[in-house]
Amino acid sequence: MIPVAVVGVSHKTAPVSVRERFSFTNAEALVLLESLRDYSGMTEGVILSTCHRTELYVCPGIDLDLMDSAVSALKRKVGDLVGGTDQYLYHYSGALAAEHLYKVTAGLESLVFGEAEIQGQVKEAYDSIRNASTARPLVGPILNRLFQSALAVGGKVRSETPVGQGAASVASVAVGLAKKIFGGLEDRTVMILGAGNTAELVVESMERNGVSGLIVSNRCLGHAQKLAKRFSGRAVHFTEMPFNLNKVDILVASTAAPYTLVTLEGFRDALGGYREKPLLILDLAIPRDIEADVGGEPNVFLYNVDDLKEIVDDNLLNRKASIPIAQDIIAESVSSFLDWNQTLEVVPVIKDLRDSWDQERLNQLKWLWQKLPNLPENEKEIINIFSKRLINKLLHEPMSRLKKGVGNGKREDFVEAVRYLHDIQNVSPENTGDLKKDPELAHSD
Amino acid sequence: MAHFVSLFLYIGSLIVWLRSLVKGGRGLDPSVAFGLASLGVLVHVYSLIAFTSSYGQLPLTGIGPSLSSLALVIGLALLGTIVFGEGRRVGIVVIPVIILLETVAIILGVRPSFEVLDFQGAWFSLHVMMAFVGFGGMTLSFAASSLYVIQLGELNNKRMGRLFQFTPPLVTLDRISRVALVTGFVAFTLALALGWFWTISFRQSLDQFNPKVLWSIMTWLVFLGIFLTRNFSRMKPQRGAWASVLGFTVVVMSYIGLRLLVSTKGFFL
Repeated sequence: MIPVAVVGVSHKTAPVSVRERFSFTNAEALVLLESLRDYSGMTEGVILSTCHRTELYVCPGIDLDLMDSAVSALKRKVGDLVGGTDQYLYHYSGALAAEHLYKVTAGLESLVFGEAEIQGQVKEAYDSIRNASTARPLVGPILNRLFQSALAVGGKVRSETPVGQGAASVASVAVGLAKKIFGGLEDRTVMILGAGNTAELVVESMERNGVSGLIVSNRCLGHAQKLAKRFSGRAVHFTEMPFNLNKVDILVASTAAPYTLVTLEGFRDALGGYREKPLLILDLAIPRDIEADVGGEPNVFLYNVDDLKEIVDDNLLNRKASIPIAQDIIAESVSSFLDWNQTLEVVPVIKDLRDSWDQERLNQLKWLWQKLPNLPENEKEIINIFSKRLINKLLHEPMSRLKKGVGNGKREDFVEAVRYLHDIQNVSPENTGDLKKDPELAHSD
Repeated sequence: MAHFVSLFLYIGSLIVWLRSLVKGGRGLDPSVAFGLASLGVLVHVYSLIAFTSSYGQLPLTGIGPSLSSLALVIGLALLGTIVFGEGRRVGIVVIPVIILLETVAIILGVRPSFEVLDFQGAWFSLHVMMAFVGFGGMTLSFAASSLYVIQLGELNNKRMGRLFQFTPPLVTLDRISRVALVTGFVAFTLALALGWFWTISFRQSLDQFNPKVLWSIMTWLVFLGIFLTRNFSRMKPQRGAWASVLGFTVVVMSYIGLRLLVSTKGFFL
């Protein structure tokens, strides 16, 4: 059993009003983890807190008291909620906890399926706890391995499947289209006609991508000025829109007008002839603001809301088609993590075996030094090194086979056989912590 | 041997470009493909320097050396696209042309020509090199324009699949095509002027019934047609792109046709 558990909330279990109460800053996360370590027997812990999820990963996850403490700590953070906190929380332990983190990192659990941002957020959460200056480290071998493998799985899923391919929102499709027409968005001017949530999101996204100019045109100049101020743009009255049409590269139309605002004839008049530069028009209004025939004009690329939605749906469908392959990659990685974890369980016997053989080596050297009292120091050193190399060589194969046997589910039989054959006494599993520094174990990583 | 190495590097580059196309241009594949093509060009340069030092003549006469030199000029033009960022993806069209030219050159043998030409020396070398730069520019313009036409189709048909993702932005492709065309047109005009200047000076004739002269004039007119379409027509970028694609096709087809019809002896390349 993998000694990891996770408890948390996500966009699937809780609305934003609840999720925001579970949100942790880095400092708050450290305080909670240190308290769990000092008072509840937690050996390792990481908190992942993003807009869409807050998750607490703890080790050893098989400790039910620790799980209770972790849940209680989260409840204390949130305070009272109507109907209680339990209805929003989910928890997984063992292999399911590992699988969950792998899915989260690969973007399979994200609100926007396959989004890549989560990979960076997982890395940031893990790095911030791992690099925090605390009295004792909060991340040890188990969570190190788990998070590193999760990041590797996320990368692999993204590179080997189309899970992150294609834009998945109207705003990102709009930016993608603009980039494929103009290259970069620097030195480009956008004009927004009317206002609407989607249109504002599109403009926001374009601004993040570096558009240099923004013109806001609205029937109500006050509204236009308000929006223009927000995006450091320029407001113009709706009647001035045609005169600005030739100055812009991208036109985002999103008015509530019940009729077509830009007809083909009006468009041609506004341009005063042929337009040389490309013009991307995103008509997000319903009913449409731009006459469809405008899209047939040279150098004009017209997309209405259905076109954009269709592209988003196609991309999401394409992303979701990758689920079976992504799940195979995740299953393989969970299995590999299980194998590694089982290998960890034989560390005590490996350590005992090495200690026992090393003791015997020292005994034999002592005997040899007595028999050869005049042996020079440099030759003694050579023999000493030789004896170490011999022991390492002799033990290498049995240890490798022991680890492989453990991976095949024969742990008990193998450990017992090794202890019997080498006359090694049982040691307490608590020794595992120190034994993780064993070089053979290091190789097993 | 070096010719084979460069050919294999070009083939490797093409394979990686195609893999990148399948993946929608994601990851490191475009950089790897461009890197392999650059290595191919380096080895190609070495092979032609070795040719020059071994035989004491520039690889500008004889069909094998000429085709190999032309392939190298096109390769160098491809390297120049590095300044256009994503625009270097035109390599997916340019590399097959280079592979074709280099393969034919290897099959025919990159050996020195013992043909004695009356037009020779520095002016001849400059004439041929300028002509090669002209063809290199036309090829690069063709490659960028082909991708432009493809990307335009994807945008007009509202498809955002892997082909759309792989293909560079329209503005970038238009810029590459324009720069390549202008460079090629100027170089080819210079080559033609040098050739005619020599012909008139030393043969006291325009030699206008010579098939290669006729073909050169036709090629220059094609260049001029593309140039005019790109600069003075409505829908300049679109029609300019189509003109580059059609012009290149006409030039290549007419060359192949002339080679089949006219005795190869005395016909250039």
